Amino acid sequence: MYSGGACHSDRPFYFGSIIRGMHLRSRSRLIGLIAWGVLSLLAGLGLAQAELIRLRDAFDTDARIAHRLLSQRAAQHDAILATLNLLQPGADGGQPQQRLPALYPQVLAVLQRERGRDWPDADLQAADAQSRALGRAVPVRIDLAQGRCLLLQHGEPASHALRLDLRATVPWSEWPIRADGPQRVSLQFGGQSFVLQAGHGVPDAAPWPYTFRKVLASPSQPFDVVVERGFGWADLPWVRMAAASALIAALLAVAAAWWRQRVARRRAEELLRLGQVARLNTLGELAAGIAHELNQPLTAVLASTQAARRLLADEDHDPADTPLLRQALDQAAAQARRASDVLRRLRRSVERPDAGRVLQPVALDVLVADTLHLLEPESARRAVVPQVVAAAAPVVVQGDAVAVQQIVHNLVMNALQALEQVDTVERRLVLTLDTDGGTGRLRVADTGPGIPDDALPRLFEPFYTTRPGGLGLGLSLCESLAQGMGGALAAEANPPRGACFTLRLPLMSD
Amino acid sequence: MSTTHSPLIHLIDDDAAVRDSLALLIGTVGLRVTTWAEPLAFLAGFDRQAIGAIVLDVRMPGLSGLTVLERLRAEGVDQPVVMLTGHGTVELCRRAFKSGAAEFLEKPVDDELLIETLQTAVRQHVRSRERHQADREARERHAQLSEREREVLGLIVAGLTNKEIARALGGLSPRTVETHRANLFAKLGAESLAQLIRRYAALVDEVPPAGHP
Repeated sequence: MYSGGACHSDRPFYFGSIIRGMHLRSRSRLIGLIAWGVLSLLAGLGLAQAELIRLRDAFDTDARIAHRLLSQRAAQHDAILATLNLLQPGADGGQPQQRLPALYPQVLAVLQRERGRDWPDADLQAADAQSRALGRAVPVRIDLAQGRCLLLQHGEPASHALRLDLRATVPWSEWPIRADGPQRVSLQFGGQSFVLQAGHGVPDAAPWPYTFRKVLASPSQPFDVVVERGFGWADLPWVRMAAASALIAALLAVAAAWWRQRVARRRAEELLRLGQVARLNTLGELAAGIAHELNQPLTAVLASTQAARRLLADEDHDPADTPLLRQALDQAAAQARRASDVLRRLRRSVERPDAGRVLQPVALDVLVADTLHLLEPESARRAVVPQVVAAAAPVVVQGDAVAVQQIVHNLVMNALQALEQVDTVERRLVLTLDTDGGTGRLRVADTGPGIPDDALPRLFEPFYTTRPGGLGLGLSLCESLAQGMGGALAAEANPPRGACFTLRLPLMSD
Repeated sequence: MSTTHSPLIHLIDDDAAVRDSLALLIGTVGLRVTTWAEPLAFLAGFDRQAIGAIVLDVRMPGLSGLTVLERLRAEGVDQPVVMLTGHGTVELCRRAFKSGAAEFLEKPVDDELLIETLQTAVRQHVRSRERHQADREARERHAQLSEREREVLGLIVAGLTNKEIARALGGLSPRTVETHRANLFAKLGAESLAQLIRRYAALVDEVPPAGHP
């Protein structure tokens, strides 16, 4: 005789899933950490690069402005010299050029080669000749260490030269680069360098040095404007990078929580479904066992009685055969008794140990909400939104939570399956909770096709089903579960159309 | 050969009540029944020579009915086997017939069906034993023929006249052929040409067993 099949199939699954769950948890945590690290790194790199590009663009703009301003000044120097040469000292011998340093702070002095004379110094004389040949001003005595240089242009009859203070050429009022900024600005020519702005920080030592170098626009003053800056770790947008990393961690945590909840829900559904399958398997094996156990005595009964009939029908029946006849009939009776014993034993073995079960308080509201949550994918697939009409106070009944959930699950599933047969817009599923005297009541009403009148009285019979392919055990099981807890399950029509199942369970007495 | 006895039915079932009641039922039509609770005991001890049939329960502890059936067939046991089962699936039925079961019955079985089946099986067994016996006798007689007589038999079966046979055997006189013919009819115990052909045509084409003249 088969018995206790459910235990065999349930236990390994249960432990297996726990062990698997533990492995999964630590592994998913590791995966989460790795994902967080990689994503943070990528986000950090992106932010850092964007920041560096932004800083370089600003740096380039500043450097270009600085170059333009200095080039304008250089052009101004060319213009001054050209003007001096154009005007030439008049017959009155006035020296208007001597007033220039007062106007232009960078012009320290104006030198003049007087008419018909040479420059007192050979280098100036050579420069004069060069300027004459080039037809433009030329630089002489470039002393970048001191920030000084002469700018000489040949003129007739008199040539002029400007002694320039390079530091004073910088138009500080319009200067784009802050004095206390990190940029180093210098003028460079022929290996010499004059630092206009020292800046702070040593560009060469920085991880990412950046240099802007462009020669002044005036050919007479071929100095390179060099702006340097080192970008270092301190320039990276650490705060934003940290914020991004934190945001990623938060998003991953939310995703993981959502995933875990999804998995947990699926597992709960799976367990519930497996429970049903196991129960049905048990029933199937039980049925096979019963069939075998009953078949043997039935075979014997049939054979014995038929043997007896044959003995009696025998024309030349020997009265001495009576013992044989008696043996046949005794055997038939004994085997009939054996069959009835099989049934009695069976009934005892499948009887629910209701007496031994402790009934606990079960909050029907919570249980209904849980079950609907579990079945949410099923409802969603059928475009049904279950409606719960709850009582003012929580309905707490006494029962076995698992059994009650099994009943509610079955009733809701039945309703959902019934609703499949009607139009989407007509599908309603209403669960009403209330109390009626000493019982808590849950009504599950649907607007499906309803229960045919002839089916109503047989609805809770085992193996009776109105659904093609149904086993006809769900409602029968629900009813016996409800009765086992001292409750009842009833079905009626839900006018104008549909079915309404009412589960009653005794209220928890205080 | 125990043809003098009535046919013997072997009934193998682990359930004593089923065994006894079925034995009683089968006994009412005058068939002898031997019952066995243990498949192995049955395999070790039953009379393989007896005329009869075997009734096997499919579901037995130890050795299943199908396994017993396969062993009987492997051993060359010629008694027909009737399988009995509580619930016969198509697959079970298919396997039983493939292994050479004569019939496949479901429990509880109706008396008419069981007895009819067993009587048919016994009749078949008797016929097959008789055929077997006749075959053996024919073979033994055929082996006594001389080489020349065997040649002549072949040509007779092929439908040749004495003259044609004499010519085919390289110029024997028809008279000699006539003598061979008379001899082989006597040795084979044939009373007419038709009987001779019916019994021995199948043996003519066979290669004679080595060592015979």
